[in-house]
Amino acid sequence: MKLIFTILLGTFMLCAGVPLRDSGNAMAQARPKAGNKSARRYTCPMHPEVVSTRAGKCPKCGMTLRLVKDTSLPSAASNNEPELATQQTGSTRLNIPDTPVLDQNGKRLNFYTDLVKGKTVAINFIFTTCTAICPPLTATFRRLQVELGEHAGRDVELISISVDPTIDVPERLQAFAVKFKAGPGWTFVTGDKSEIDTLLKALGAATADKNDHTPLVLIGNERAGYWTRVYGLSPPATLAKILAETANQK
Amino acid sequence: MISSSHIVGKQASPKCPALFVFLLISLFLSAGAFAKATLQEPLSPQEKRGKQIYVQGTSASRNEILAYLGEASLEVPGSTMACANCHGLDGQGKPEGSINPSNLTWDSLTKPYGVTLSSGRKHPPYTERGLELAITRGVDPGGNRLPNVMPRYQMSGVDMSDLIAYLKRLGKDRDPGISEINIVIGTVVPTSDALAEMGKAIKAVSIAFFEELNTQGGIYNRRFELRFVETGDTPENTRGRVERFLKDEQVFAMTGAFVAGADKEIVALMEKRQVPLIGPLTLYPQIGFPLNRQVFYLLSGLDGQARALVEFAANQQPTKISSLAIVSPESEANRSLIGAVKDQASKHGMNSVENYVYVTAPLDVDEIAAKVQQKGQETIIFLGTGEAALAFMKKAERLHWSPSLYLFSANAGREVFDAPLSFNHKIFVSFPTLPADQTAEGVREFRALAEKYKLPSNHIVAQLSAYSAAKILVEGLKRAGKDVSREKLITALESLNRFDTGLTPRISYGPNRRIGATGAYVVSIDLEKKQYVPTKEWVDIN
Repeated sequence: MKLIFTILLGTFMLCAGVPLRDSGNAMAQARPKAGNKSARRYTCPMHPEVVSTRAGKCPKCGMTLRLVKDTSLPSAASNNEPELATQQTGSTRLNIPDTPVLDQNGKRLNFYTDLVKGKTVAINFIFTTCTAICPPLTATFRRLQVELGEHAGRDVELISISVDPTIDVPERLQAFAVKFKAGPGWTFVTGDKSEIDTLLKALGAATADKNDHTPLVLIGNERAGYWTRVYGLSPPATLAKILAETANQK
Repeated sequence: MISSSHIVGKQASPKCPALFVFLLISLFLSAGAFAKATLQEPLSPQEKRGKQIYVQGTSASRNEILAYLGEASLEVPGSTMACANCHGLDGQGKPEGSINPSNLTWDSLTKPYGVTLSSGRKHPPYTERGLELAITRGVDPGGNRLPNVMPRYQMSGVDMSDLIAYLKRLGKDRDPGISEINIVIGTVVPTSDALAEMGKAIKAVSIAFFEELNTQGGIYNRRFELRFVETGDTPENTRGRVERFLKDEQVFAMTGAFVAGADKEIVALMEKRQVPLIGPLTLYPQIGFPLNRQVFYLLSGLDGQARALVEFAANQQPTKISSLAIVSPESEANRSLIGAVKDQASKHGMNSVENYVYVTAPLDVDEIAAKVQQKGQETIIFLGTGEAALAFMKKAERLHWSPSLYLFSANAGREVFDAPLSFNHKIFVSFPTLPADQTAEGVREFRALAEKYKLPSNHIVAQLSAYSAAKILVEGLKRAGKDVSREKLITALESLNRFDTGLTPRISYGPNRRIGATGAYVVSIDLEKKQYVPTKEWVDIN
């Protein structure tokens, strides 16, 4: 199931014209599940018309062919509104570094051990001096938190990572959290710039200019090793649904 | 009779140069007056209400304004997604994170031949009705749906007309106190008996500084106009006066204001009215989060100096100290200082800092000295007056004990030079600036100004502070460019990095930084020669 998600959504992303840069690593890490008996097909990430039954290189561009399996699109991604379409890519593994970070209360945490390990998480990327894209992203998270109810903080952890850690000191994150009425189970993360940069790179959310940061949300179930990236301005109900599905991954 | 015919005769002559000049001048004058009138036409009450909706997303009549995002599935207060957040205070649009908000200036919205956006979307010119549909339904006049990231808003009909009235002025609307030809700067001066002389000195130096700048040509063709407001008897009174002043005088920004005593009230007012204030004269800068963006301080207040003293003490050689004590008079004002000392000490692993409070000096001070000695403390941050510190040291001498004593220069005068010799080189005093900061050029410039404008020879510290504040303001205005706004001024000031006023430590600001020189010099005292031991050691606490 995970694999299907991975490949199909990857293809979906390609069709939607989303650059592969962000999802490339995640897709490269996709592994076929042991004991999978269905027929295997391989295709080129850049040339979907190239299909082979054996692994190898693409005759057109030389890229390594990737494994594909057919199935129908999962319901969560079947939104027909192109701009709000949930653009996802899944991965069975994402190496999350145990970066030392600070939360909005100035408390020292280790990103992987304290926030992600064994949990289902939704991670977005913000900075507090951003006025255009971050308020809607954050308002969406706030709504998501409300919809999650008592699950927030118990089974599901919401995380907002600052892409501008130099300016976003914990006090600023705290004020930002208060402004958006963030409750328990929603952690705002900042820290040393080079450390946070490494973390952002690992999560596929690094940009040279903070103003170029993309409105994506990384949703994952660390226990199941399942990860997916969705459009951060999708309706909160859609995000909640994806979160629930992610939490149920085994 | 003769003179009148003389005049008539002159007027009758068409070739008379005087008349010609007169006519030309009156022509210029009227044209100038006209230009000034159009440029400075203030926003109407309706446009002002509209501006509040545009900038803050709230209604002046307290009606609800709601924003709906993502197919109306997410409802938030309008204040979360005010128009200006994305479209900018100038209406030009601020591209960010894959979205490209469109230009909302009226000229751009109503181009007679229609609008083609970079996304390829085309639409005929907007009308008032068209705008209303775009704002409430998310449809442009071409029938295209606006991108989903543009929320749909729900507001009352009155609020909608207010907003549209303001949109017609958007981008052409200047902040108060600025026109093509002038810029109004305000300052607060004290007038009470004890401070009247200081007030006069601040006034004189400010007038001289801006007058000199005007004779040199002003900035970007604008001349400075300076306005003063006097402090009141109480902080509340001062606040009321300044609030009326900002309203009546249409001040663009404030500089070097004397706010001591009304620190909290005045800076809160600046935040409320969104008026930048540069270099207020105070020992208590308000720099907590959420940050007051409007106010830029020159030097560390007592809070920053307390941190610098702890930092200096903690790094004393040869052995690092492991604990310290605070001795303070009973006072509400000291609470934040004690907090600052404890916080800074905790950064050096000193987590159990004790505070000893005395009510009256020297009586209680003697008792406390004995107590602190018993605890074996050798490092004392002394927040009281110089006299109290002196009493403390005299008692300590009687106890054959001579710990290191750390004081603020604002508290400790020359009386501490009479301390027992056992405290030689054991008294340390914080200075937010020292004469060593003054460069030859800075001093020459100030002296030339003082001479030319016959500035008073007293209250030099207050004068230098007001002068440096004005210099920083002018640097900010230069960097903000010709189309300056208050917001642009703030952004420009935030970019100052080690700016040299010539009279203070170098000044830096940033999005989180509102103190130009964070830290202090810590100077020890040679009690034999009765003088400070010169130092160049700056303790930075940034």
